[in-house]
Amino acid sequence: MVQLRPRASRAPASASAMVDEGQPASEEAEHGLLLGQPSSGAAAEPLEEDGDGDDEGDDEWDDEAPEELTFASAQAEAREEERRVRETARRDKTLLKEKRKRREELFIEQKKRKLLPDTVLEKLTAASQTDIKKSPGKLKEDNLQKKNEECEKGSESKKAKEKVQSIGQNKSYVALRLKDQDLRDSRQQAAKAFIQNSLYGPGTNRTTVNKFLSLNNKRLPVKKAAVQFLNNGWGNQKKQNAKRFKRRWMVRKMKTSKK
Amino acid sequence: MGEFKVHRVRFFNYVPSGIRCVAYNNQSNRLAVSRTDGTVEIYNLSANYFQEKFFPGHESRATEALCWAKGQRLFSAGLNGEIIEYDLQALNIKYSMDAFGGPIWSMAASPSGSQLLIGCEDGSVKLFQINPDKIQFERNFDRQKSRILSLSWHPSGTHIAAGSIDYISVFDVNSGSTIHKMLVDRQYMGVSKRKCIIWGVAFLSDGTVISVDSAGKVQFWDSATGTLVKTHLVANADVQSIAVSDQEDSFVVGTAEGTVFHFQLVSVTSNSSEKQWVRTKPFQHHTHDVRTVAHSPTALISGGTDTHLVIRPLMEKVEVKNYDAALRKITFPHRRLISCSKKRQLLLFQFSHHLDLWRLGSTVATGKHGDTLPLSKDADHLLHLKTKGPENIICSCVSPCGSWIAYSTASRFFLCRLNYDRVHPKVSKMPAFLRSAVQILFSEDSTKLFVASNQGSLHIIRLLEGSFKHLHTFQAQSGTVESMCLLAVSPDGNWLAASGTSAGVHVYNVKRLKLHCTVPAYNFPVTALAIAPKTNNLVIAHSDQQIFEYSIPDKQYTEWSRTIQKQGFHYLWLQRDTPITHISFHPKRPMHILLHDAYMFCIIDKSLPLPNDKTLLYNPLPPTNESDVIRRRTAHAFKISKRYKPLLFMDLLDERTLVAVERPLDDIIAQLPPPIKKKKFGT
Repeated sequence: MVQLRPRASRAPASASAMVDEGQPASEEAEHGLLLGQPSSGAAAEPLEEDGDGDDEGDDEWDDEAPEELTFASAQAEAREEERRVRETARRDKTLLKEKRKRREELFIEQKKRKLLPDTVLEKLTAASQTDIKKSPGKLKEDNLQKKNEECEKGSESKKAKEKVQSIGQNKSYVALRLKDQDLRDSRQQAAKAFIQNSLYGPGTNRTTVNKFLSLNNKRLPVKKAAVQFLNNGWGNQKKQNAKRFKRRWMVRKMKTSKK
Repeated sequence: MGEFKVHRVRFFNYVPSGIRCVAYNNQSNRLAVSRTDGTVEIYNLSANYFQEKFFPGHESRATEALCWAKGQRLFSAGLNGEIIEYDLQALNIKYSMDAFGGPIWSMAASPSGSQLLIGCEDGSVKLFQINPDKIQFERNFDRQKSRILSLSWHPSGTHIAAGSIDYISVFDVNSGSTIHKMLVDRQYMGVSKRKCIIWGVAFLSDGTVISVDSAGKVQFWDSATGTLVKTHLVANADVQSIAVSDQEDSFVVGTAEGTVFHFQLVSVTSNSSEKQWVRTKPFQHHTHDVRTVAHSPTALISGGTDTHLVIRPLMEKVEVKNYDAALRKITFPHRRLISCSKKRQLLLFQFSHHLDLWRLGSTVATGKHGDTLPLSKDADHLLHLKTKGPENIICSCVSPCGSWIAYSTASRFFLCRLNYDRVHPKVSKMPAFLRSAVQILFSEDSTKLFVASNQGSLHIIRLLEGSFKHLHTFQAQSGTVESMCLLAVSPDGNWLAASGTSAGVHVYNVKRLKLHCTVPAYNFPVTALAIAPKTNNLVIAHSDQQIFEYSIPDKQYTEWSRTIQKQGFHYLWLQRDTPITHISFHPKRPMHILLHDAYMFCIIDKSLPLPNDKTLLYNPLPPTNESDVIRRRTAHAFKISKRYKPLLFMDLLDERTLVAVERPLDDIIAQLPPPIKKKKFGT
């Protein structure tokens, strides 16, 4: 019932777009940029659209039997639902696969682009040691030029950028042995756990902020509202139990209805 | 004074991080304070307790110990196992050095100031030699079973005491071996605890060792025999810190209940020479744990989880009973965390690891004076911008047009362009071009960006649509590396004023790109700067509440400034204890200067007579039914409103609208870690 969109037509275009704007886009993502309301996530859009298509189909089907729901129809609906979930999971998997494949292709292409042309490489191998020593600098320059050409900005910004690199390249890398870092991190974690445990652990006689603030309030002539109204931690165990029970009940229902 | 519509903003949910260590320097009368997020701040106690400098924090650099050595050098050590020295001139970290002993819990400089001692997680005590440019490892002492949580030198420098878990050891410095190991009782009010942590030790010159521990005891030990002399049970909870005065006649301890106890050495009877330690005064200025205390010659200084820094002067040590003898409580940083875009009515809030951009709400309702108007459109959270990496944000700024945001961490400067075509602004990042900045400012028309970097240089960058160009760099004056902490630009964009922490204010001509003049240096540091529109008068506020007005075109102080200096400020004005952090001007009323500190907002009307000490400074608004004559007689230049507090930011959005950002203390307490439970009668 669910048709996969012809993504193949869209894929190459987006791939090329990624090649062009690959670096800024990824940087932006790394930068950890978050919009105020995460509901407008771009990644969710295509799926939703597909879902809409399905819903329309469902609506038509619903029109035939509008109000009354017999057991059989409900069962059919549930099965349909189950099948759809399975279908979407499968589709997600294929999409992910496709994405991975695309990215791998991109990486290969980028690697290729970084390498110099074959003829130059041959020349280099043939040349003497001194030449090889010079070449990395050249390579860097080439890359820099390429980058600058890729930049779609005016000549002014280019100048600024060159200046920038001269300022920014003083000390951008620090060499670390990762093994030491792990050990250090684990020790730091242990130390933090010790201080947390000895200050706030069991037997330290701590109260909660809400109780602490209510102490003053109790003796005030004018009673004010509590600072934190809702206690989210209330009945946690009960809520979890209810959730688990509901899930089990649903699974049991499904099984019995299949039989 | 004029009537304004005020946006009363309370959604800046800023929580300062708790204070972990304080270190007092007697020579320069400065106080170093480190916080749990790794920030280190320097307060100048002689300049009205002004926060002069700060070093931004780092996620992995949880500072556990802080000390001054060799006069003016500041060292810190933390749980990442590194010793850090700070460069107090250039405001950056000079170097950091791994001590190879795991997380560091304690550090102490020798009485001569030439050696540094650290106590590590693995139980080792390491001695470092302080050289002029770096520190150098000298040797290890006998290794102990468990972590060394506190250290103290004997004033002669021959012995040290080290507090660990369940015991205190006394080392001989020359041999590096343990002389005594003094076991501490785990018992606490008859109940045996799992362990007894020695949070602090102090070694006195007569050989007495004072220890404070997690069982709530203050104990006196004889280090020659290794025996317990006396015990004071001071708290139901941990006693977490101790500091002894230089004369060794008093010391102070801080407990987890938030109480600070003062102990004094007093004669047993009125005319005997025999003296003993007596617990004299309790102070309850904190609600949460007092993690650290310091003892200056005249005051007790304490700081803790509740983020207040409390300076309590000792009345018997104070000679003149003036306002310096009053209690000081410092909660908020003495720098601006908020910037405002007037055109788009945006507020940018700076947190330690992210920035929040809000659009102010609006109302269509009108009302009388004093009414609260209902919002027709709520305030909008437009953007949540997280920084990459573990470093804290040093400074941030949003441009007046609202389409640029600049911020800086210790290693990188970021410039972002915002595009408001859609519901949520789209952010595009500009390539990096500077390492870091201490202060950032946009010009009024948002075409220029001024950046003060931490080597004393000032960069001017021209902003174009979607790109930028580096225009010019003003290098620091030869021989100085002092970085500029405050910037101000004139509304016409021709003048740029910059001020460091101690030298005077420099005024640059932006058109000709050269230094125009330097305002004569004043004894107290500058806390706020602004240039008035049209007249180009530079208004400077200092930490002792003095205000100067300097005419940039004439290169001299204005007539009004001379008059007020001649007559002097009102005594109540000079006694205010928080610095003025922001100055602005009214576009239509050139005689008005608007300024604020944390507890008041003031409009100075230069056309009215100045108040003398007999007049009421804080006059309430005169009732409207009184005659004009009386009103004119009681009116003076300072119009003060204390309605909004604690006030973090206040600015004029347009001629009739103000925005005030408040941060109520209760909201901060509600987000702090849990305090100790205390029984109160009648609850």
